[in-house]
Amino acid sequence: MGAPSSPSPAPAATGPSSGGRPLLMTLPWALCVVAAILMHHVVGPVVGDYWVTVLQKIGVFIIAAVGLNIVNGFTGQFSMGHAGFMAVGGYIAGATTYYGSLLWIGTVEAQPGLFNAGIALMIAGVFLGALVAAGFGYLVGLPSLRLRGDYLAIVTLGFGEIIRVLLQQTGEQVAPTDAAKFAAAPLKILSQFPLNGALGFTRVPQYASVFWVYLFTAVTLLVAYRVKYSSSGRAFLSIREDEIAARAMGIHLTKYKVRAFVLAAFFGGVAGGLWAHAGQNFSPTEAGFQRSFEVIILVVLGGLGSISGAAMAAIALTALTEVLRGPGDVLAQWWQLLALAGAVGVVAIVLRALRNTGWRVIAIGAAIPAGLVAFAKLSDLTRNHLGISLGDYRMVLYALALILVMLLRPNGLLGVRELWDLFSRDSKRSARTNGGAA
Amino acid sequence: MSTAPPSVPPRVPPASPTATDGGPGPIANESRPLLDVDAISISFGGLKAVQDFSLSIPRGALYGLLGLNGAGKTTVFNLLTGVYSCQSGAVTLDGRRIDTLRPHEIAAAGLCRTFQNIRLFPDLSVLDNVRLGCHLRGRHSLVRTLLRTPGFVRQEGAMTRKSLSLLEVFGLADRAQEPAKSLPYGDQRRLEIIRALATEPKLLLLDEPAAGMNPHEKIELARSIESIRERFKLTVLLIEHDMGLVMDICEQIAVLDYGRRIAFGPPTQIQRDPRVIEAYLGEPGAHDVGENGGAV
Repeated sequence: MGAPSSPSPAPAATGPSSGGRPLLMTLPWALCVVAAILMHHVVGPVVGDYWVTVLQKIGVFIIAAVGLNIVNGFTGQFSMGHAGFMAVGGYIAGATTYYGSLLWIGTVEAQPGLFNAGIALMIAGVFLGALVAAGFGYLVGLPSLRLRGDYLAIVTLGFGEIIRVLLQQTGEQVAPTDAAKFAAAPLKILSQFPLNGALGFTRVPQYASVFWVYLFTAVTLLVAYRVKYSSSGRAFLSIREDEIAARAMGIHLTKYKVRAFVLAAFFGGVAGGLWAHAGQNFSPTEAGFQRSFEVIILVVLGGLGSISGAAMAAIALTALTEVLRGPGDVLAQWWQLLALAGAVGVVAIVLRALRNTGWRVIAIGAAIPAGLVAFAKLSDLTRNHLGISLGDYRMVLYALALILVMLLRPNGLLGVRELWDLFSRDSKRSARTNGGAA
Repeated sequence: MSTAPPSVPPRVPPASPTATDGGPGPIANESRPLLDVDAISISFGGLKAVQDFSLSIPRGALYGLLGLNGAGKTTVFNLLTGVYSCQSGAVTLDGRRIDTLRPHEIAAAGLCRTFQNIRLFPDLSVLDNVRLGCHLRGRHSLVRTLLRTPGFVRQEGAMTRKSLSLLEVFGLADRAQEPAKSLPYGDQRRLEIIRALATEPKLLLLDEPAAGMNPHEKIELARSIESIRERFKLTVLLIEHDMGLVMDICEQIAVLDYGRRIAFGPPTQIQRDPRVIEAYLGEPGAHDVGENGGAV
């Protein structure tokens, strides 16, 4: 034993949210609202209309990925049916708002204003959809007690496909012009599942503004954080680490596995519900395994078990596909470049001052935006002088990026760790302890 | 050296860290044995792994289960902890039938174990491994977890304090933040025992705790087993295939051979028992060559 290591014996306790006193208990939730307002009123206008839709997509995918991470990352059960849960949530939420609007507002046009009956319908719909998805999560979670690894993956995959096929068989959607006919016999029509079959449910009022998307995103992140850094979170992690030992230590495997599935499905449902209200439609193909894989990629890339990793992967990959599409349009103005450089500098100074972050981590962090800018400029050059648009090759580049990350960091960007563990100098030596009174 | 070397024998501070937490509790019904195993059996296909095994352990005792590799020792542990269910017989812990319970319920009833091939949670920190042991004695509703109610915060704090004081006893507190897999072998074994202690067991089952240890470490281990037993008012049953440790510290020893209990008694008696000697060394000339010699 030559290593003179002496990490502090006290648990790393303080996290972004503390609890205990009633006032403090509400603080993190209030911060979620503040974050959502900032995203809506500050970030939204800065990035412009086009990127606002990207922003919404990012938010939805953060929710989906962080949710799936509870099953695949924390608990180590491999679920491949997340798109199924998203579709359940999306269709139920979309249908609630659409048919509710027909019935009570008389039109499916989005109503103006910060809050109105339509938005209330959306919120109710999102929660209803998420609860039903959670119910399905319970059903899918039950076989997880007997099935492991590949077999469980196939069962969950099958679930997604069942949802997709069922959605294709649904009845025709009631057109907004037939509002009177619908109002005459709403229950009879609803019992036909008027979800527009293979064509996809359309014309969902667009209520999921950046504010609502990011309110749900912030709450999802808070919930995931609190679950991970708690005794229940340790129970999830212990199942991933060693099921037999966890059981011998008194962990109720059934309860915790099913609980993980239910939580993940709930957030999948929330993501789907918001997605329906942001993109205005939801088609059965979005319940298919391709969408499930997209979310799995985010979770694996971010690092199984890492909340901030999943969120970062959702941001990076969603933004990447857009940046690759037309890189010249992004950061075209010199002031945008300056703002970016300034932001990176400020973040670096703050991290250095507060967390004593090493220069290497800061340099890597700064290299990412710099690389994006370089790519955008390179793309400009090739387009103007060679006539080649790099945007046409975006899916190739996207796939290459995935391969590269998996080669360089097989455990994902962050592994099990979180972003804030990285910014502390002794992150190498000590595994961050899960929890404390944070 | 700023840190304590891992091989320091456990210091015994005056106050027990778990004494107030309910733990083993006041001794009730002194006369009744804590664990009563009554003729349990299990067979896998045609192989009778354990046959009519009986054992009765009084409160506070330190018993050993001895046998060669493959004699069925670990299978007995797996039966007691519910990994396998008994095909016949009964197990009673503190007056309560436990052979029909599921493993996590058995742990809750007060029977906890360590594993022959260490089964820690390798990527979790040392502290979290122990805190997971504390999970069993807490309340964990989703609402409490998400709202971080005062009760939740208190409970988490109590778990952390209890875990750290347990680690302190074994001289591992200053490695609390490291991932469990980074500990040296001996410390990993020790951590497994600490984790089991955190579940506040009445009966602790140790599956070959000295496996892979050198003689010096074995002596230390023997000392720490005796001290934790006193300190936590534990009853201990330990498995060994190696005579040394068992003979040194166990009060009574049961010897298994081919799934049957062939001997039971204090160490001195076991050492002289002809059936044990036969099982370990083989009876010269008496061995049926056709049985084993034919196998390739």
